[in-house]
Amino acid sequence: MRNDLKPNQPLSEAQRPDDFRSRKAIRRAWRRRGLAGLAFCCALALVGVVQAQIPPLTRADRGEAFVPDPSIIERITLGFDAVLSDYYWLVAIQAVGGSAAVDANAGGHVGQLIDVVTTLNPWVGHPYRFAAVWLTESEENVRTANRLLERGINHHPEEWRNRFYLGFNLFYYLMEYESAAEQIQAASGLPGAPAYLPRLVARLRSETAEIDVAEAFLIELVQGTDDPVLQEGYRAGLDEIEIERKARFLDEARKIYRDRRGQDIATVESLREGPNPVLVGLPSPEPDSLPVALSRQSRWLLDDEQDEIVSSFYGSRYRLHFDAVSRAKANGWAAARQEGTLHAEERGSL
Amino acid sequence: MIRMRHVWPIATNTVREAIRNKVLYALLFFAVGVIGVAVVIASLSYVEGQRIIQDIGLASIRLFSLGIAVFVGVGLIHGEVERRTIYTILSKPLSRSEFLVGKYLGLLMTVWLQLACMMIAFVAVSLATGAPLSGGHVAALGLLGMELVVIVALATFFSAFTSPLLASLFTLGIWGAGHLSRDLYALGQQSGNESFAGASTWMYRLLPDLEAFNVSVQAVHGLPIATSELTLPILYAVGYAVALLIAAGWIFQGRDLK
Repeated sequence: MRNDLKPNQPLSEAQRPDDFRSRKAIRRAWRRRGLAGLAFCCALALVGVVQAQIPPLTRADRGEAFVPDPSIIERITLGFDAVLSDYYWLVAIQAVGGSAAVDANAGGHVGQLIDVVTTLNPWVGHPYRFAAVWLTESEENVRTANRLLERGINHHPEEWRNRFYLGFNLFYYLMEYESAAEQIQAASGLPGAPAYLPRLVARLRSETAEIDVAEAFLIELVQGTDDPVLQEGYRAGLDEIEIERKARFLDEARKIYRDRRGQDIATVESLREGPNPVLVGLPSPEPDSLPVALSRQSRWLLDDEQDEIVSSFYGSRYRLHFDAVSRAKANGWAAARQEGTLHAEERGSL
Repeated sequence: MIRMRHVWPIATNTVREAIRNKVLYALLFFAVGVIGVAVVIASLSYVEGQRIIQDIGLASIRLFSLGIAVFVGVGLIHGEVERRTIYTILSKPLSRSEFLVGKYLGLLMTVWLQLACMMIAFVAVSLATGAPLSGGHVAALGLLGMELVVIVALATFFSAFTSPLLASLFTLGIWGAGHLSRDLYALGQQSGNESFAGASTWMYRLLPDLEAFNVSVQAVHGLPIATSELTLPILYAVGYAVALLIAAGWIFQGRDLK
């Protein structure tokens, strides 16, 4: 082989030494690796860029259309009912998120999710009350929550809280006092029910002590939830009830003033002025729980339009509901119901 | 006639062979992983976390047991034929039915062994998180073991006459249909159509009623489980598996193994 070689003549591929060929192979392999690496980086960049364009909507964000029909899904769980129920429960929590309230549409979505959760596993406990807390933005939402609570009552007949929440919804949002009384009465006989429930039933049936009933409900609701946003809402309601009690006390004093003097008060201050005053002092027009630093220097005023004593802290008297929004809501639903009844009567008479 | 002294060596050998299968360990690893990850998933819910941990734990045990039974089970006979070891085995004084029953028992023991491993992981996670354990859990896991008696019998039945791929598809299909059989029956009864109602009743009788083995929800919620809810499914599983094995034996007798 060596004898065949001539000086200064380039070597053929076959004649080149092995180390030369291997160096070339190594260079080729590195080139291939480099190209592969470049392609890998390009693919990664493409994925990153494209993914940034895709909105990261979760199932919770997609709304009602992405909630399956409970009657269908319960047939196709293949024995995994409980774990699917847990999945939709986590989606429901996600749908509510950290929001202080859900609007009527979101409420419908949460209602559907809880319907799926409780259809797949009706022995769950908290989701029924979760629905009662969050489905309050429309009458339809409240009625959905009530239907779910009734399902909860069927599967947990010994759980007093489901009946309590149902009673609250009937009393507070739907103003169906007799039905509310029935639920609270049934709850009062169940294990673990607070001792004050029978008194609550009596008050509901009397229909004269709305604020006592509302106060009792709100105290229980504050104790029954760990959600700070909900607790704040309920405590605000309790503060308003406290001011209402004080205003009612002043109403009584005003009556005595009229009887004694034969005339009405010119200002609320008149109650503690002049000879033989009706009151030694006026109660605070602000909630006792309000820190001094947050005081608005509120005063008791005589509302000429309504002819009633009001605290400037709220500007109006308490009317069952613990805030203006829910009051307006309940009144609106009542009006709509009334209108619906009238229309039905008209249709009937036609 | 099945002679246990002939069946037992096949069964123990099948266990030894199955526990060398890497798929088995991959599935077991994932099952234990999912049971552990349940703690993280449950933390997403501010209430009833312990219930969610146990729901996920029992569901993963059910899912991965099925996976192990199907994917390990369907290849056992095919493997013997492919390696031609079946000729050596069947040249001994051993009937084909005994070989099949031995394979079945071996696979069942393997699957139960894996079930025991997953149960240990489940109990450990429950104890670590303070989730309550009761007799209901023992019943739920015991019935899951009996569901596997039927599924392994199905896998053995199909592997007696078809390829591993088809056997796994058929077994999974029957498993799904077995969980739907009660709904199919109810649908037929509600249809008002006599022929459909009759057909759905026959389908219900023919398909395995796998929902009978599912008391997971009762276990997790501490609901009472009647004795009949335990004894009847156990008898049902034994009867169904024996019937399937007899049918598999008939088919396997006539199969050309060349």
